[in-house]
Amino acid sequence: MLDALFEGLLLILHWKAFAFMLLGVGLGFWVGLLPGLGGGTTLALMLPFTYTMSPAEAFAFLLGMHSVVATTGDITSVLFGVPGEGTTAATVLDGYAMAKKGEAGRALGAALMSSLVGAVVGALALALAIPVVRPLVLTFGSPELFMLAMVGIAFIVSLSGEGRGGLRRGFLAGGLGLLCAMVGQDPQAGILRYSLGLLYLWDGLDIVPVLVGIFAIPEIIDLAVRGTAIAGDVSYGRLGKGVTEGIKDTFRHFGLTIRCSLIGTFIGIMPGLGGGVAQWLAYGHATQSARDADERKGFGQGDVRGVLGPGAANNSKEGGALIPTVAFGVPGSSSMAILLGGFFLLGLVPGPDMLTKHLPLTLSMVWTIVLANIITVGASLVFINQLAKLTTIRAHLLIPFIVLLVFIGSYTANNSYGDLVAMLVFGALGYAMVAAGWPRAPFILGLVLGKLAENYLYISTTRYGAAWLGRPVVVVLFLLAVLVIAYPFVQARRSRRRAGARCAS
Amino acid sequence: MVVSAWAVLAATAWPWKAALFPLAIGIPVFLLAAAEFCVAATGRRASAEALAVDFVASQHVDRSLALRRTVATFTWLIAFAGLIVAFGFSLAIPIFVLLYLRTAGGEGWLRSLVLSLVAWACVHGLFVRLLALPFPEGWVQAGLRALP
Repeated sequence: MLDALFEGLLLILHWKAFAFMLLGVGLGFWVGLLPGLGGGTTLALMLPFTYTMSPAEAFAFLLGMHSVVATTGDITSVLFGVPGEGTTAATVLDGYAMAKKGEAGRALGAALMSSLVGAVVGALALALAIPVVRPLVLTFGSPELFMLAMVGIAFIVSLSGEGRGGLRRGFLAGGLGLLCAMVGQDPQAGILRYSLGLLYLWDGLDIVPVLVGIFAIPEIIDLAVRGTAIAGDVSYGRLGKGVTEGIKDTFRHFGLTIRCSLIGTFIGIMPGLGGGVAQWLAYGHATQSARDADERKGFGQGDVRGVLGPGAANNSKEGGALIPTVAFGVPGSSSMAILLGGFFLLGLVPGPDMLTKHLPLTLSMVWTIVLANIITVGASLVFINQLAKLTTIRAHLLIPFIVLLVFIGSYTANNSYGDLVAMLVFGALGYAMVAAGWPRAPFILGLVLGKLAENYLYISTTRYGAAWLGRPVVVVLFLLAVLVIAYPFVQARRSRRRAGARCAS
Repeated sequence: MVVSAWAVLAATAWPWKAALFPLAIGIPVFLLAAAEFCVAATGRRASAEALAVDFVASQHVDRSLALRRTVATFTWLIAFAGLIVAFGFSLAIPIFVLLYLRTAGGEGWLRSLVLSLVAWACVHGLFVRLLALPFPEGWVQAGLRALP
């Protein structure tokens, strides 16, 4: 194994493979930065260019590009409140809030360093887990994946406000998201649901324009209303100093960063859950790391932990997603499904051969993820001060360019004008939610998880009848979901008891 | 409440396979929405604690000014969408940037023109030339082309 690890490193350090990796990193840097240019789409666009490359060069190029997309996607999320990637939406909640408080540098430092830690954890998981992951992947069938989606939905509680009113609104927003997930053709019976007679809605709502609209439009409007720069009247000097603070935050909350990296790795390993889930589960876990209700209120208003959690999970899921892809030929995400195409193009068959005959190549993927992220984070840190300066530009100079990003990002998802309309409609909805104090994150979580949950529920009931409810892992996950819902109440009760004891003394 | 009621009513017309999940979600959502409506109807306001884990819109701007700017920004967004449909991305982008910077931004002609060209060049260079993404022409160009 050590020999293969060393051989994998040498494969990557060969000048041609390294050059292709750098090219991929450069491409991935901009793909992540620009909303709408999805990592998956770009992976598909780049596949034909790998025809003439050797396997090591091809994977250095493709993975070098794809593994840094989430890293730089966090940058746009922090600076402009526009998710650069669908998987970096959660970073907007606290990252952009920090930028508005003049802490853009700190948020960027935290996002980048936590991304690097997450990438290393995911890569390590890939290196260590491949020989042992088979029983884990085979244990998780449709019932377990459905219950995992329920655990994810239970995290809606963590993303809602306090008290009965906050929870009610959180669940309403999540329920609305789940209903929106059902728009389009029903996968079981082929019935058109909630399509309003529109051809555009036959395939359901695309996540990209909805995400971009619901997050970016309210921020653009708020920026226009304020009329100041994103960072308000904060002087630039303070912005620059925050980067080191953000990097230190990653190690100050190292336990949280590692836990969220493991969450991302686990979600990445589970085929069919998708990257969008990892960020929200990690964010929900980060909010639960708050010691009391007062601390929890800081989330969404610029708590650095709200940046660390999703930042780590987004990158660790890449290594995790590669595990079932390489070991079993079962793609861990939609991007991995595209990467599988690369395997076949290069004459490789995922499975036992990748763990025996081609083990050095598999381990070169580990090195690619680590090196690509080190290079990207290093390069970003060099430019971070210039990037942070963007938050001091006057709103009216910045708004047209942010609007361009939003519109192009929404349009290029499917090259459809309908996506522009969807983006505006959900933008208006997002603004109304913000104005009325309703949480947006549960809506997105419901939208992302709804289709998955319905599919797995249907497969579970068809295949197992009611017996799936008694499966051990299902029971454990059910108890975990109950724990996730109960935890904020327990925490609030403990806070009240402590406050009562303080008053008494 | 209205949306969830409609969702539930629509689902009752479908076969059970298609209706199961919408009903399982729609009915609780309707009940929760009804509870929220009752709370709002009694005049009770959400407490500070109930406010979401999310950003809070700026409070320090005068309400009427905030409303005017909100409406203006939405109008600009809708207008840009209209420009895209009418003229295509290639023309809509510089027109929008120029008009926005001149009217809403109060910028001078030179700066507005330069930034419009920069915006067009960046989008054209990256999306059209490098990535060969298809931006269709607008209705105006298509209409002019169709003229004899």
